[in-house]
Amino acid sequence: MAAVNEERLRATEQLQREIGVLTATAEHPNGLCMVTASPKGEIRALHLHPALLGQGAQAVGQVVTETVQLATNAAVQVSFNKMALALGDGMAIDVESIAGDSPFRSTWNPVVPPKDPAEQAPPERRQRPPRVEDPDEDAFFENPLWRR
Amino acid sequence: MDDDVQRAARKVRDVEQAVSEHVTRSGPITGRASSPDGAVTVVATPGGPPRQISVSPAALRMGPQGLAAEIMRIADKAQRTANTRLHQTLDRVVDPRELTALGVERGQDEDDFGWQR
Repeated sequence: MAAVNEERLRATEQLQREIGVLTATAEHPNGLCMVTASPKGEIRALHLHPALLGQGAQAVGQVVTETVQLATNAAVQVSFNKMALALGDGMAIDVESIAGDSPFRSTWNPVVPPKDPAEQAPPERRQRPPRVEDPDEDAFFENPLWRR
Repeated sequence: MDDDVQRAARKVRDVEQAVSEHVTRSGPITGRASSPDGAVTVVATPGGPPRQISVSPAALRMGPQGLAAEIMRIADKAQRTANTRLHQTLDRVVDPRELTALGVERGQDEDDFGWQR
């Protein structure tokens, strides 16, 4: 019993470590900005395409804000997925019942500029969710976004 | 396990209720930081992505790499300010250790919050 508990404790610590250093990278639909962010919204890397600066100061601010939001949501979703794989879908669903839906369950596309989008997205550059290596055909992964 | 989850959910709801009543009185908790020359201004939220990033027209002359580095620097500063303000605002409602455990670190108190305790 003690051994089981110890193993569980180690697994939990491992999961916390993994989630602690986890980041996700997202590209703005206009292809001019790329951000790597943590689930807490910390920007770990930011790449601005020179053409973005040509669109003016306001566009730069808006596009960077939107891209950080995309990357943060992706990082939160990756955290949920890691947790679901490690602890089981039941626990992930329990956590959602406490913390709220995971980003890809609650929003189809987090960047929905109400009007006057910074730049219309060419379809081929649209943000894709990260590929899931080992897609799990059960409750937590029923969202079609995760079955590419 | 179900009892634990329900207890946790109830505790989260209670804290949410207390926090939301508190925030209704105090206004949203954000942190603002700007470059000394006003090139970049960021309004950050505690534990989430920045609410607003503004760039001055003059900042475009920094070039893509210089501007990206400045945005990262100011966003980091703004978020640390937001986290510290969250601690200051909620220290009578939530155990500060719980905020820290959630990943919201309390930073050094800075003078530019505009108010003193």
